[in-house]
Amino acid sequence: MVGNDVVDLEEAKRTSNWERPRYLEKLFTSKELQFIHDCKNPFLMVWRLWSMKEAAYKLYTQQNPSRFYNPKSFECDISNLNGIVKFKDFECNVKTQITSRYIISEARFLDSEMTSKIIELKGNLPKSHSDILKEALLIQLSKSHQLSKENFKFQKSEFGIPTVLCNSVKIQVSISHHGYFGAYVI
Amino acid sequence: MTNDELITKLKAIIAPYVQDEKAFENLTEDTDFINDLKVNSANLVDIILDIEDEFSIRLENEDMEKMLDVKAAMLIINTKLKT
Repeated sequence: MVGNDVVDLEEAKRTSNWERPRYLEKLFTSKELQFIHDCKNPFLMVWRLWSMKEAAYKLYTQQNPSRFYNPKSFECDISNLNGIVKFKDFECNVKTQITSRYIISEARFLDSEMTSKIIELKGNLPKSHSDILKEALLIQLSKSHQLSKENFKFQKSEFGIPTVLCNSVKIQVSISHHGYFGAYVI
Repeated sequence: MTNDELITKLKAIIAPYVQDEKAFENLTEDTDFINDLKVNSANLVDIILDIEDEFSIRLENEDMEKMLDVKAAMLIINTKLKT
């Protein structure tokens, strides 16, 4: 099981104002606010922590099917590019990669290399972004299973949790989309 | 405040973050912010802050947790306005 989350840094700059009054306090714990306060680039830290929380939430809801909005309760601890996120008695490892254009995080229970595939969506109509992402995921699965693509069907549960159905077997996946970047992981 | 007045106020708050205009035009109490209006989850907190400002209320973590659709937002606002 894995949860992932991508943040398009241009999109984050354009559509969110993290310096807005009360914004940070709504999303982050006092410990996380300290990380943001202490680092050289608060903007990157805000979005890194955000992507860690989102990735952890996606992993949590795969294990505990549900849907809610409580980013503050997913508390991050970080050292270098590794992190741990805790929520109630749930705990997972979260790895993050930061480039000049995007941040990607992956949450897992066990230590593992990151395997998310990043897809650049620039040049495509926003409406088609999620379809392009799903198509890429199905092609990847069809290659790795050596079965034709028609065997794979993307679906979302009532809680919005994605899986791919292959001959009545459910394959756990995670997808993420923000601005001009998409990411999927199997 | 009537429900219609509340929905009108909510629509004005939500409008800047909507990414599916068609779903927005057909907004009802059952409309989901993320699934239907395609609001980015990072902008949900902006909607919450805008609601706090507009209605002079403060929303706690437990209130935010359920804030996923128009119906839930209306319920939370109405409850806060009464207390």
